[in-house]
Amino acid sequence: MPFPETGTEVPIQVRIPTALDLFMFSASAWLLHRIHYDAPFTIEHDGHPGLLIHGPLQGVYLVQAAESWLDDTARISSISYRHLAPAYLGDELECGGTVTATDDEGIDLDLWVRKSDGTITTTGKARFERR
Amino acid sequence: MGVITEEARSWADREYPSFDFQVTATDIAKFAHATGETNPIHFDREAAIAAGHDDVVAPTLFPYVVRMHASALVPTDQLEPDGSPSADVPPLPTRRAMAGETSIEFGEPVIAGDVITVRKRLADMYEKEGRSGPLVFVEMEFIFTNQRGALVARESFTRIYR
Repeated sequence: MPFPETGTEVPIQVRIPTALDLFMFSASAWLLHRIHYDAPFTIEHDGHPGLLIHGPLQGVYLVQAAESWLDDTARISSISYRHLAPAYLGDELECGGTVTATDDEGIDLDLWVRKSDGTITTTGKARFERR
Repeated sequence: MGVITEEARSWADREYPSFDFQVTATDIAKFAHATGETNPIHFDREAAIAAGHDDVVAPTLFPYVVRMHASALVPTDQLEPDGSPSADVPPLPTRRAMAGETSIEFGEPVIAGDVITVRKRLADMYEKEGRSGPLVFVEMEFIFTNQRGALVARESFTRIYR
């Protein structure tokens, strides 16, 4: 079956991580940085308005948006992403993307995470190859 | 001029001690549930076997878990007050960091029972003038291999100190 053609949009997934989600991510990865679970420290010491949603968790959201759409047809071969703006506990995050190229062997995607006010927090590119 | 001292500069090309992570189905299930994975191949052995694997399969970005343990699984007196591991970064005028760019190529998947070895190197360090002062970019390279010596992932990760 051919891959979706260039310009096709990746279905948007909405993610609203809770304090529990942030803690579980920190715990499972042994990521000890307090800005993800210690609100008084984060606000008073680091001057943030609240707990930060991990950059790597947003990386996971990018991967999941693409993987759940492509299902078993393809496997990820590479991804790169960078963070443009902070995301805080309580933010509603939309994760989506666009097909930028496709060929017999695989598919290239642009992916992004954005807040409900339109701010892009994370942007990335991924390549998936046919299984 | 410049905020990267000679001492910090001497960290360039530094190889960190390698770290072995013995991957259990429990480690995989914790990361899968923490990230809201719904595919049962990540937490149900029967489903993973039915899908052609030997055991449960780790989610794509599980190598991140491996490299975080490599940095931060240390006695608590080797952690900074903000929770970050002390020995991880060169001596810079600030420890306030933000994540820059991550770039990962994937090889073999991680399966429960694997022993993943991560090798880490400080690949590059440079400074640029930002709007509110100097920014120092520190690029780490991670190479993840399994117990058969096969490549699992190769990652380049840049952290920005300001």
